[in-house]
Amino acid sequence: MAQKTGGQLEETALIRAAQGGDRAAFEQLVRAYDQSVLRMAMNLLRSPEDAQDVYQEAFLRVFRNLDKFRFDCSFHTWLYRIVTNLCLDHMRKRKVRKEEPTVVATAEGPLDRMDAVVEERVDGNPQRFLFSGELRKRVKEVLAELTPRERMVFELRHYQGLRLRRIGEVLGTTEEAAKNCLFRATQKMRAALGDFV
Amino acid sequence: MSGLHQSETSCASVKDFLGLYLYGELSFDEEERVESHLDACLDCRQALERQRAVQSALDSLAIEPAPSLLRSCREDLHYRLVEEEAGGHSGAKRGWWEQFTDVLTGRSGSGWLKPAGALTLIALGFGIARLPLPPTNGGGPTQAGMMEPSSRVRYVEPASDGKVQIVFDETNQRIVSGNLENPKIRGLLLSAAKDPSDPGLRAETVEILNSNAQLAEVRNALIFALLNDKNAGVRLKVMQGLTPFAQHPEVRAAMTQVLLSDVNPGLRTQAIDLLTKGLSQDNPAQSYDRQVIGAMQELMQRESNAYVRQRCKTALESVKASTETY
Repeated sequence: MAQKTGGQLEETALIRAAQGGDRAAFEQLVRAYDQSVLRMAMNLLRSPEDAQDVYQEAFLRVFRNLDKFRFDCSFHTWLYRIVTNLCLDHMRKRKVRKEEPTVVATAEGPLDRMDAVVEERVDGNPQRFLFSGELRKRVKEVLAELTPRERMVFELRHYQGLRLRRIGEVLGTTEEAAKNCLFRATQKMRAALGDFV
Repeated sequence: MSGLHQSETSCASVKDFLGLYLYGELSFDEEERVESHLDACLDCRQALERQRAVQSALDSLAIEPAPSLLRSCREDLHYRLVEEEAGGHSGAKRGWWEQFTDVLTGRSGSGWLKPAGALTLIALGFGIARLPLPPTNGGGPTQAGMMEPSSRVRYVEPASDGKVQIVFDETNQRIVSGNLENPKIRGLLLSAAKDPSDPGLRAETVEILNSNAQLAEVRNALIFALLNDKNAGVRLKVMQGLTPFAQHPEVRAAMTQVLLSDVNPGLRTQAIDLLTKGLSQDNPAQSYDRQVIGAMQELMQRESNAYVRQRCKTALESVKASTETY
């Protein structure tokens, strides 16, 4: 068995303390992962409200079921399994219902909900500047056209940096199946964006 | 897709796999074949650069959630956790009775405990069934099954014939309805707002009371809950209900107390917002509130939460008050 690192030992101690009812330890665990959970939900769902729903529900599920966590997998994998399932549910529902507009009416006038997020600046880099505009629009379109599973695998690989083996663990599938999903996703991207670059 | 085979190293098949190649997700053999092909094919090398550019374009679409969104998520989660704990839904360690009932209801993950729990239940049932019961006031014998689950035993007394006499309260449920102008309804709600056993009931009651906070009796009950309720979620709801009355002296006094003594930083922040609502540097004679300023200056000395301190400092600076006490 591989030896545990200092960080893993510290995490194990936190999990055990949280399982014993120490809420400060639980909140420390939340703080260790919540930013990446929110980022992933935000990237996948592109809606602050939906991302917030996923955040709340995911950590409440962890809280309610922490006593059932038996260290059979890493806490990160367990947490991401919960988060990816919640995001997949949201994406599947969204495929069925009509897509909600991002611009909503408020007391202060129309507000684009995506303004609640800070997107990476182009920083005057001419190459990046070219990618904004039409290409950006096309990328958003092609991301929306991926199936929920393809979108999920792509998110976990491209934005979260997880290896396919780990993605398979998180999604409860094989590395090969995850690889097929990523292959299809990259094929669709290339077909839709290839002539832009 | 089942991988890039030896027989498939045509330009078309190599281009198909360039995405996975850049992610480093090809097998050793597949990667070897792609690289050999790239060495010899200018067109595919250009395709690789295009693929790289596509992936860079995707990087620029990464979303970083706004800090305010993360903060709001954390605050909401904190309140939800407080409510969950009060409702006994924690997955963490719980009391023996909760663990026991989990076993009986099958909620426990420990399968071996289920038969033990069932046996204990049978033993308890056997014991209760054999317990001799005294006659009721009406003279007829009372069966164990007639006791309501909500009954509370007040006292027990051994009787001369070896039996035991038990006096217990019996609770009967009734449904009443009416509006808050009805003193009985109001009385029941004011009592429910103090029910120590059920924070969910208190929260729902407070929501109803909030819409009638113009009544002094209701407002006083809300102030009591603000200062005494153990559940932060309930206190937060109360604060929302008292917001329109932030200028009332008794509400301001309560808010000042929250500012200085509530354990929850979210509530202390809300108290700052409400207390400083009427303060204006343009019209100090009318709205300058020395007591509030003093309380905030005191808070600056003792507050350990950086965010609350910052809000307090900003509020003091907005009315050109010193952030220190002398």
